[in-house]
Amino acid sequence: MSVPIDAGGAHELRLEGLGRQFGAVRALDSVDLVLRAGEVHALMGENGAGKSTLIRCLAGLERPDAGRILLDGLPLPSGHPAAVRAAGLRFIHQELHAVRGLSVAENMFLDHPYPRRAGLVNWRAVNRAAQAALSRLGVDDLDPRQPMTGLGPGDQMIARIAGTLIDEGGAPPWLYVMDEPTAALTGAESERLFAVIGEMIAAGAGVLYVSHRMPEVLRLSDRVTVLRDGRHISTRPLGETGQERIIHEMTGRDLSALFPPRDALQHGDTVLGVRGLAAPGIRDVSFDLRAGEILGVVGLAGAGQGALLRALIGAAPRRGMVTLDGQPLSATPAGAWAQGLAYVPPERRSQGLMLGRSITENVALPHLERMARGRFFLNRRQQARRTGDLGAKVRLKAATLSQGCSQLSGGNQQKVLFARALAGAPRVLLLDEPTRGVDIGAKSDLYRLIRQLADDGVAVLLASSDLPEVLGLADRIAVMQEGRLTHLKENSGMTEASLLASFYDSGDAA
Amino acid sequence: MTGLVRRFGGIAGMLAVVLFFAINVPDTFLTLRNWLNISQQISMLAVVAACMTVVMVMGDFDLSVGSMASLSGVVAATLFTQDWSIPAALSAALAVGLLGGLINGVMVSLVGILPFVATLATLTIYSGAAFLISDGRTIFGRDIPAAFGDFARGGPVIGMAGERALVLPNLTLVALAVVALIWLVLEQTTYGRRLYAIGGNSEAARLAGVPVTWLRLSAFLFTGVGAAVAGLMYASRVASANPTQGDALMLTAIAAVFLGMTLTRDGQPGVLATLAGVVVLGVLDNGLTQMRVDSYVREVLVGAIILAAVGFSALGRRGVLGRRP
Repeated sequence: MSVPIDAGGAHELRLEGLGRQFGAVRALDSVDLVLRAGEVHALMGENGAGKSTLIRCLAGLERPDAGRILLDGLPLPSGHPAAVRAAGLRFIHQELHAVRGLSVAENMFLDHPYPRRAGLVNWRAVNRAAQAALSRLGVDDLDPRQPMTGLGPGDQMIARIAGTLIDEGGAPPWLYVMDEPTAALTGAESERLFAVIGEMIAAGAGVLYVSHRMPEVLRLSDRVTVLRDGRHISTRPLGETGQERIIHEMTGRDLSALFPPRDALQHGDTVLGVRGLAAPGIRDVSFDLRAGEILGVVGLAGAGQGALLRALIGAAPRRGMVTLDGQPLSATPAGAWAQGLAYVPPERRSQGLMLGRSITENVALPHLERMARGRFFLNRRQQARRTGDLGAKVRLKAATLSQGCSQLSGGNQQKVLFARALAGAPRVLLLDEPTRGVDIGAKSDLYRLIRQLADDGVAVLLASSDLPEVLGLADRIAVMQEGRLTHLKENSGMTEASLLASFYDSGDAA
Repeated sequence: MTGLVRRFGGIAGMLAVVLFFAINVPDTFLTLRNWLNISQQISMLAVVAACMTVVMVMGDFDLSVGSMASLSGVVAATLFTQDWSIPAALSAALAVGLLGGLINGVMVSLVGILPFVATLATLTIYSGAAFLISDGRTIFGRDIPAAFGDFARGGPVIGMAGERALVLPNLTLVALAVVALIWLVLEQTTYGRRLYAIGGNSEAARLAGVPVTWLRLSAFLFTGVGAAVAGLMYASRVASANPTQGDALMLTAIAAVFLGMTLTRDGQPGVLATLAGVVVLGVLDNGLTQMRVDSYVREVLVGAIILAAVGFSALGRRGVLGRRP
């Protein structure tokens, strides 16, 4: 049973010439956009295209330095989250800020006053209101009294959306901005969210849907807007655009110049042999990685690319057979590093760097024993010399090597992680999102470095969600779907579109 | 200017404290004898605080050191009453410290209990054990071998002041040896840098091949044994043991580490910085006592000084007192 959401008539939010400058970067450059009640409007663009800035400006978290936002023709004060809220906008982020200890109903009431009776919380009314809000989204099987922790991420998100429907007396919400809502959801959870979005649209609400996932966008949206480098490229009804056109508009520039040339394939022997590997997030993965080759690993977010790399470095428990030069590979990170694996994790701040510590300490960390006197006593001079050499090799720009890593730019932080990975002269390099959040100059440095390492005989496993990067660098490309390796082929004649398509078709098992 | 204050403020503060007492206690404060006396007074704290630094560089801490110090003193004294030899009784007390540290390490690292909770529980257990073993009484007098008490009173003579010899107390030498050992371990070995790495980012350390679980466990052995050593030093100094005599060491040791952190450039715990924190606390205690400041007032003053130093440092780090250098 679903009761219509009162969208309060057909609202319209109009962005006119919106702009925002960060330092030398024009993050948003006079963007025009019209968002209407009753439709799903997809917002697409690569990392750094300006999507986040646009959302932050909409939410009032960022004050645009040019242009204005009009609600039904009347300007909204900029930089006021409360005014945005009063205007009926709601924001659903991929990270759920759920309070783990509280019930579903309590989480739904986080930004509403509790109904009270005689000064005390009227729990029966709280639960009834929560139940009613869930019903309006067509969700009747969630008990609002159960703890939020009992719900999967998809249902947690649905509970948060339902929470916005609780009547609070002011203008009812009519426009939902969803930022990568399915990033953490399974297929079934996503389906359920799509059903809820359908209910919301049918009831007259509007959705601004931000996602990298082409199939979702093609299925859900009524209109598609593409941003690139902070500029508005196009807004088209879905009928007038399609996957190819959207991807072309998103990427636009000639990316091939960024990538060093690939020589004719001349790979050496198998270095890393993987047979029937299973670990959290992956199952039955088998492949060979040869000396001197770059093997790209791609798939939808969370299809197992990162989990594969974590299992190989020994950060997650695993079953199956992994060999390095024919010898069994240690299942602990310490053993794997010592045997000649090196790993660059996807999140450099939380998983990679000791931000408060010097460049030298960060580079030396996995290699302390090899750089020591008698394995135990530090040899700081050797650490500094080695770090200096590697810093030059990765083109690290830093005042001194004793500088703390928190003061470096994202690109230079990433170069510190590369220097760390190279310090042990690795046989196999595991790279997880190696250029995420890195400026174009550092990207080009890193691409050249990766290719040079491969030419020197290092075997590289490159997991990346940046498809142009994989197409530009990899010799072979492996596609993962739901934890399994489904395609493995030479990188020739492939396009982003054909690669994207292979994320979905069942494929010929590798 | 603010950079200078941040860099040298702590040292300037220490000098100001010394100057203050030199003026207010002119006859005795700046004498060598008094400083040797201070060094002995702070020796136990120095040992416990140095070992506390080992776990604090990982971002953990150990609340059980005070009651472990009491327990080890009581264990040794009780064994003395049963005619154990001095080496045997001391070894047994140190073994108790090792065992206590092992329990803490297992609970924190293998079982995964927060250090605050785990060591709060073992604090209670070790304290209860000390009461059980001693029957709640102070063990003193003829039960304690003379040589054991004499150790703390003795030491190499390093000069004469008029008629009386100036003695470098044995306890001071023990403390210096422990601090030197901890310094060597933390600053000069791969083991120590890995502990710092765990404190810097434990997930990054794990992914870079640092065996986080085992290192974290092992570090608690330092606090266990260090506390036992301090308990024995205390028992030797007063030639007796009771089940509460080491208790005060825990909070003061943690305070000393925090005070030391305000003196370092990067705000990290470090054993030499900790030693400086210990000295500041010892000098304050000594000077205020000589000025006949009431002991309760003394506690209020020392607490306020710790708050001021750490608070000033926190504000500086957040940039409230000006931009970072």
